[in-house]
Amino acid sequence: MMDKYSLPHKILIYFSIALFLTFMLLPFVEMFMASLRPLTHLFHRPKLELGETIGFADFISRFWSKDFSFQAYSDIWVTVPQLPRYIFNSVFLATAVTIFSLILVIPAAYAYARFNFRGKSVSLTLFLAVNMFSGAVLLIPLYKLLRMYGMLNTYWAMIIPGVAFLVPTGIWLLKSFMEKIPYELEEASFVDGASRLYTLRRVILPLAVPGLVVVGVAIFIGAYAQQFLFAITFNQDRDYMPLPAGIFEFIGYQDVLWNEMMAASLVGILPVLLIFMFMQKHLIAGLTHGAVKQ
Amino acid sequence: MATLKLENIFKSFGETEVLKDINLSIDDKGFVVFVGPSGCGKTTLLRIICGLEEATSGKVFIDEEDVSNAQPVDRGISMVFQSYALYPHLSVFENIAFPLRVAKINEAELKERVNRAAEILQLTDRLDFKPGQLSGGQRQRVAIGRSIVRNPRVFLFDEPLSNLDAALRGDMRVELAKLHQNLKTTMVYVTHDQIEAMTMADKIVVLNDGVVQQFGAPMELYHHPTTKFVAGFIGHPKMNFLKTTNTVVDGNELQVNIGAETISLPVEIGETKSGDIIELGIRPEDLRLSSDNQGLSMNVEVVEHIGATVIIYGPAAGNDDFCAVLPGDTLIHPGETISLLINSTKCHAFNSQGIALRRKQVAEVS
Repeated sequence: MMDKYSLPHKILIYFSIALFLTFMLLPFVEMFMASLRPLTHLFHRPKLELGETIGFADFISRFWSKDFSFQAYSDIWVTVPQLPRYIFNSVFLATAVTIFSLILVIPAAYAYARFNFRGKSVSLTLFLAVNMFSGAVLLIPLYKLLRMYGMLNTYWAMIIPGVAFLVPTGIWLLKSFMEKIPYELEEASFVDGASRLYTLRRVILPLAVPGLVVVGVAIFIGAYAQQFLFAITFNQDRDYMPLPAGIFEFIGYQDVLWNEMMAASLVGILPVLLIFMFMQKHLIAGLTHGAVKQ
Repeated sequence: MATLKLENIFKSFGETEVLKDINLSIDDKGFVVFVGPSGCGKTTLLRIICGLEEATSGKVFIDEEDVSNAQPVDRGISMVFQSYALYPHLSVFENIAFPLRVAKINEAELKERVNRAAEILQLTDRLDFKPGQLSGGQRQRVAIGRSIVRNPRVFLFDEPLSNLDAALRGDMRVELAKLHQNLKTTMVYVTHDQIEAMTMADKIVVLNDGVVQQFGAPMELYHHPTTKFVAGFIGHPKMNFLKTTNTVVDGNELQVNIGAETISLPVEIGETKSGDIIELGIRPEDLRLSSDNQGLSMNVEVVEHIGATVIIYGPAAGNDDFCAVLPGDTLIHPGETISLLINSTKCHAFNSQGIALRRKQVAEVS
């Protein structure tokens, strides 16, 4: 590969990346450090005289001390016995939302990419507009709606609003992918006698795989992030709680088990992290797959 | 194995009328080429035959059966697209098998038919490849393979060679002509390249501005173009057109002047009267170098040595883009002034509406 960047260029690029990554990852570092520190250590403050600043030893002790241990990682399962269930719920809810969203997004995106119909641009704009509402604004009407259909305190209470809020973005994303698939492929398939659905299944979807992965990942992340809001408002059943809501149980009457809460959060992220490490390979495979000249 | 008939086909996209009253009757097993400049409506016409486009009015018949409202697959046609339209994610085998899979043909027969098509097209050792791994010519053959497995009644080709380089195009021309002889199926072929049209067609349809200018055998079009457009479009290099003066009709003879020279034109007079404006057409290959400064004087600007011939360009007799094709060993340099003799028996004549005066039958007509 040709090396087209000069040294100052490279330094600037790496510096920028490092800066960006620092901002992105610092909270995780802090979470991890906090999870290692015993509670007493967490609340320990160096005694300072007026005007005196924190000493070097005290600063270092935030990152390393012989008191540090992974104790919190085993304690969490005792403090909150439901934790595995919460983690499962989180992954399950995000997966369900992704699957249901894709079922709706695929045909819709195909229709928006290929057909002209009355109200096409109006409805597309409306989808964007819906996205501008935060879920919080719609909580009360959604609550009434879910109560009417008897869906409060079920998985559906978190899946349905989740899908509703993520479908518009999915349609926009996938539509642009599908528009890039040459129209002649569909005409060729049509001339050969294939129906629209057959063409969608055998021609369009395989070619849209990179797009589907991107959209799927985007929806999954969205679903994982937004479930907290729906979980604490539409669900009171502990069995259906996702992790972000379950973590509340580390807040006790007396004190907050910060170290265990951080440990539980990190453990909860782990399955998703693994899924993404696995998906990343597919993402790259998918992208090169689509690069075949038509 | 089918005849194809088009009746009063009109097509408009909004306000623009792209096809105006097309009537054509194509024989069984014919190889018909639609040729014309870009935007003349030839691809639209093909898409109407195919069923991808609906005619604004008019009817399409295949084997005397009105298929104007039928789905492409029910018309018994198949089409090879300009971009090949191969499915990039499927192997060559699956690409060729696609129409059979759609038709739910059983696996054994499917395999046999795909293999037979691959054999005809010399793709047998490429069946497991993806289209992206093939050369342009191979992709072209896969596209053809996909269209022949279905045993259609009519083949449609939409500029199939335009994406290939010149050498490959020549080879594929020969292959397509062979394929037509083997399959003995009606083929309709669209191109903007008159050489493809001349070399492959049984019959050529010259289209311009959505109107059929002429429909006939290639040499018929070459020797007897009915309009100035066809005369200029068929043949390479293009026919030269010269303004003439002093038209004289004398019995069956039509005489015109080019400069001081009087030429007697080999055409039927029809309604032409003395004094009418006549334009003379002469093909570059029907000119000879004069040895004694007689004839048409030409200022040579560009000389192209092809090998077998020399093509020279420059102004002559008021035509700035005059062109002549001379024997390959002729020594001419840019800047020279030469004299050319016009073979009057090869001349064409056009009236002021651009309509050709019918040439008298001459021996060369095949």
